[in-house]
Amino acid sequence: MNDQPEQPEGSPDPAQTGAQGAAQNGPQKEAQRVSPVDRRRALMLGAFAASTIVSVRPALAQTAGSILNCEIPVPDRTQTGRYIATDGQLVAPDTPGAFPPPGRNFTGEEVKQALNGRTLPGATYEQNQAYLNYIRRLQAGQSGFTCYASLQMPR
Amino acid sequence: MHEFRVRVGPAAFRVGSAWKAPIDALRRLYGDYPEPALVDFTVRLDPARPWRRYVRPSVLIAGDFMLPDAAPLPLAQGLLAAEMGMNMQMALGWRRHLLLHAGAAEKDGRALVMTGHSGSGKSTMAALLGEGGWRFMSDEFALLDLGLGRRADDKTAAAASQESGAILPFPRLVSLKNEGIGAMEQRVPHWRLGPRLRGTPKGDVRHLVPPAAAIAKMDVPAAPRLIVFPRFGEARAVRTVAPGELFMRLTQASTNYVALGQAGFAALAHFCQTVPARAIDYRNGEEGVELIERLWEEAP
Amino acid sequence: MDGELLYTRVPDEELLWHPLGPVTLVYHVRSGITHIVMEPVPEILAAMGAGPIGAAAIAVNLAQRFDLPPTDANALIGARLAELETLGLIERAARRA
Repeated sequence: MNDQPEQPEGSPDPAQTGAQGAAQNGPQKEAQRVSPVDRRRALMLGAFAASTIVSVRPALAQTAGSILNCEIPVPDRTQTGRYIATDGQLVAPDTPGAFPPPGRNFTGEEVKQALNGRTLPGATYEQNQAYLNYIRRLQAGQSGFTCYASLQMPR
Repeated sequence: MHEFRVRVGPAAFRVGSAWKAPIDALRRLYGDYPEPALVDFTVRLDPARPWRRYVRPSVLIAGDFMLPDAAPLPLAQGLLAAEMGMNMQMALGWRRHLLLHAGAAEKDGRALVMTGHSGSGKSTMAALLGEGGWRFMSDEFALLDLGLGRRADDKTAAAASQESGAILPFPRLVSLKNEGIGAMEQRVPHWRLGPRLRGTPKGDVRHLVPPAAAIAKMDVPAAPRLIVFPRFGEARAVRTVAPGELFMRLTQASTNYVALGQAGFAALAHFCQTVPARAIDYRNGEEGVELIERLWEEAP
Repeated sequence: MDGELLYTRVPDEELLWHPLGPVTLVYHVRSGITHIVMEPVPEILAAMGAGPIGAAAIAVNLAQRFDLPPTDANALIGARLAELETLGLIERAARRA
């Protein structure tokens, strides 16, 4: 997901368009005699790896609470019987170190709180980690993906 | 199948239900609204399984536009299911205006737009303003006209001189939640309130019929004058939101920005360029209204 | 030995610009994607002119109008150009021999 650019506190006039006005370089007392074309401001080229472009992505998260009462099955209904490994992958039943399914769906609200630090209802610490990792791996087309996607807050 | 139709602003809905009770509730609360002959969207309240029509009745929200992973609601919350279903049709299917997840209210012919996540307080704030000298326009979705306005004294078509398009009303029932319910129960006559629904996915919910003036003027748009990001429950604060940040946040508050392509881009860019925006924090409804009234006075 | 990478702008009608103070909105018509860009992207694109042009020549052009940082401006501008090319906002031209 893209990060939002940090905006400076305070706002330029909303009606103003174009680049910011030139900053001062050199002693202030020269300002009156220096024409605008001689007065250069510093151009921020940024760091090598730092992106200066944010691309708008389709949004559902903010409205999701108003339009969707959703649940996330763990695992997908087509995978009943599989166990969930610590990293969230589905494995054969009784695989060592993997956990049986919780036996219930989790609501979007329960998952949102779990992503913020609480534990999924009825889950031990390790089960919670496994189930959340399963949910984080969900792809489009799997049950619960839309529900999970709708939980993503922009910040 | 029981049926109900209603027009709200530019959108007309049909709600079909396997049960009578939700339709009766809708008919009572939307009694003063126009009944359309033709509809834009159909919402259906279906039994989650055939036997769930009668045994622990359980409602699946369906319609022209649907999302997967929807979980059913108990029949007692059927009114909420219908409202969520109508919201879903708008969010997924409306293309005639840019949809913003926002409340809106009008004063002196200009619109205030309040945008934020569920729980930020925008629904309660819109309802409070509607009872306090403002015309209620919406609590959930504000519609931004895709055509750009023009300043009366400007004869040129230069893009930079164009004003923002107007905000259109979409005055559905106000969805009051938790603390917001008490705030309004004391201010409005009981017949404007729906049943208190307990234990919904969003806590307690109670629906409020907008004031008569809001319903009567559901087709009267207003040019936007101020955008506010309300945050309920924090110490009083005001911060200016710069146009670039405003644009970024509003693209995430719009379900149809991307689908509208170039028209959406132009409309939202002009909106962000010409309408000032503030983020406000407040501890209670009165403080929020006071902050908004003060910012409204100061707005250009 | 590889020469410098050269780029050209896409035709003007393929991008819609809307400055918003320190930030500029760019709508890419072909993809329908909206990009929000910050300095130095609009300045770099303005300095590209008709092209094809590489990072070094862009740096010379920008230095006439701005104070560039003392660190490797060519590399920084090159990184921004690569980013713009990935998004389809500029195109790769032939390498300089």
